[in-house]
Amino acid sequence: MGNSISRRLSKLFGSREMKILMLGLDNAGKTTILYKLKLNKIKTSTPTVGFNVETVTYKNIKFNMWDVGGQERLRPLWRHYFPATSALIFVIDCSDRERFNEAKEELYSIISEKEMENVVLLVWANKQDLKGSLKPQEISNLLELDRNLKNQQWCVIGSNALTGTGLVEGLSWISNNIDK
Amino acid sequence: MSSYGIYLEDGPVRRPQPVGNPLLRKINRACRMSLPEPDLALNLDIADYINEKQGGAAYDASKAIVKLINNRDTHTAVFALALLDVLVKNCGYPLHLQISRKAFLNELVKRFPEHPPLRYSKVQRLILTAIEEWYQTICKLSEYKDEMNYIRDMRRLLKYKGYIFPKIQSDNLAVMRPTDQLKTPSEIQKEQEIVQAAKLEELIRSGRPDDLKEANKLMKVMAGFKEDNIVKAKQSVNNELNKLKRKADLLNEMLSSSDDMNDNETAEELYAALKNAQPKFQKIIEEEHDDDDLVQDLLKFNDNVNQLLEKYSLLRNGNVTAAQQINPQAMSTGSMMQSNSGALANEINLIDFGDDLGVTSPSPTPNASSTTNTGDVIDLLGDLTLSSSPSSPKNDTNNNSLSLAGGIKLDDNNDSLDLFGDFTSTGTSSRILINQSATLKIEAENKRLSDSTVNSKIYFSNLSNDKLTDLTFLIAVPKSMKLTLLPQSDNEMVPHTNSGISQEANIDNVPKAAGKPLKIKWKVNYKIANNPIEETAVFTFPAL
Repeated sequence: MGNSISRRLSKLFGSREMKILMLGLDNAGKTTILYKLKLNKIKTSTPTVGFNVETVTYKNIKFNMWDVGGQERLRPLWRHYFPATSALIFVIDCSDRERFNEAKEELYSIISEKEMENVVLLVWANKQDLKGSLKPQEISNLLELDRNLKNQQWCVIGSNALTGTGLVEGLSWISNNIDK
Repeated sequence: MSSYGIYLEDGPVRRPQPVGNPLLRKINRACRMSLPEPDLALNLDIADYINEKQGGAAYDASKAIVKLINNRDTHTAVFALALLDVLVKNCGYPLHLQISRKAFLNELVKRFPEHPPLRYSKVQRLILTAIEEWYQTICKLSEYKDEMNYIRDMRRLLKYKGYIFPKIQSDNLAVMRPTDQLKTPSEIQKEQEIVQAAKLEELIRSGRPDDLKEANKLMKVMAGFKEDNIVKAKQSVNNELNKLKRKADLLNEMLSSSDDMNDNETAEELYAALKNAQPKFQKIIEEEHDDDDLVQDLLKFNDNVNQLLEKYSLLRNGNVTAAQQINPQAMSTGSMMQSNSGALANEINLIDFGDDLGVTSPSPTPNASSTTNTGDVIDLLGDLTLSSSPSSPKNDTNNNSLSLAGGIKLDDNNDSLDLFGDFTSTGTSSRILINQSATLKIEAENKRLSDSTVNSKIYFSNLSNDKLTDLTFLIAVPKSMKLTLLPQSDNEMVPHTNSGISQEANIDNVPKAAGKPLKIKWKVNYKIANNPIEETAVFTFPAL
């Protein structure tokens, strides 16, 4: 009861907070995206062993962004980050055609979890600047989300973490589609 | 909306959708007012559900239950407490972690007045009982008792405020006692995974900077970037095995001292413990087949346990003569003897020094003897300076009287030289080199005490440039013989010490038949500059 009142109030006065989980294969660019959003800087990062978490404020919404390492050994631990997640961002390295199917499999294994049933899904088709990258539309077709996701909001947006292209669009899509 | 009374919605009329997730629905059902008494089956079902789901289940459950405990309706609160009790006893660490959270405990005693009432309500009494039970069990016995601080604090706070805790019956506590069962490394690792997953999720949930740092560290351990988990699992297997070995020895002793095994509860318990552990041996061997030492050790122990179990059943059936044919050897003697070196070791050291003055640490002897100055001592001193002066500068610099004493002896008495000659020949030449590594030299000196008994003195020398610490030495002899290992003289050596540690062993039943070699297996563990080193091999003594 009290919870719903405070939610309504906070909707009026802004300042909502939500947990966003950012996952994807290793070397997809998750950590680079996180620090581009947070600091507007390119932080050369070594592979993340563990996770990073930062708060990014956009349009009065506080996004608690969790970026969890994507190495194979860390993937079984992703599920510990699922509780209380409002939005899942899945980052794909579009220049890495060989591992696209691996990425697709990981994505499906995440969204098939019960805890992730109600989250909105944003796919960042990252590294659009690299030659030979798959275009967002191609990624979208190959992921076949329209066929497999019935009740979930989803969206594929092309991005380039180095210039920041597509990042704000992504957050804006999330804020518009979450929890309406 | 519902305040407008009855109205038809746009959608079809249907039963209201059950609220929340299945877990919360089950919990609400287990605590509903209409129940005549706690529904144990449903409570256990919830425990199973939590154990199966893991993840946030323990957290969600604890939060829902504590809310129900604070429900105005006493029935509901009592049922919620009964459910909590079942969960604490059946869901293990993930739930213990939840009830030891500060927020949970504060919520639990939310309806306790600042000053204790004259008479506790039923719910209050049950809550006090629960806290006392947790304090007596998980705070004291759990492997993770260090993490249960808030329970301890809450109990102390309530006590301070004047609340009185009821006495807990001991059979209620027994349920929570950790079991001493032998587990295979993979089983232990599975348990660790559950514990660490629960911890990680709790740290992520709390989200405080310190907790997040901790979570990052924990993730590295969980992902296998650190070997902590494997090392820990191996250690606990070893600990459990040692416990079992002691049990085996105890049973062995009981079996040989008494023929009547009926009505002997302790023996029965030991028998059951060994019998239950036995199937695990094979599993451990399967999992750890690379670890030769462990496999050998386990196979040997398994033989031993087989003998013991057989002997026990023979005795149970009154077949004393057959039972006496079986004489399993003791398993843990080696390690048992190790544990009490220390105080005893010093005594041994004092007794020792007469034997090999020439080589053991020279510093205490010259001082002690120069004050007494009797002829005998001077004799000895002469030998001492002679034999050790080239290697140890300590004697040269020690004091004048010493070298004088040596000088006198040398000048006027040739006997001492002879003596010295004898001394070196008996003192060192009979030593047999057992093993020499880059850091440690092991030698032995064997003496036949009687037709069957051989006394072996083992000397350890530190060849490295660093201090050697924590030395432990174990020997195994063929089954037909009996080994008694005396405590070692010390377990530390400064760099470059010759025979700085010694240890004696008596071996009985060594056949005197000429040319029969004595085979031993030895193992030594020690640390050089805190790096643990282990050496082991089989060594055959020439005929004794």
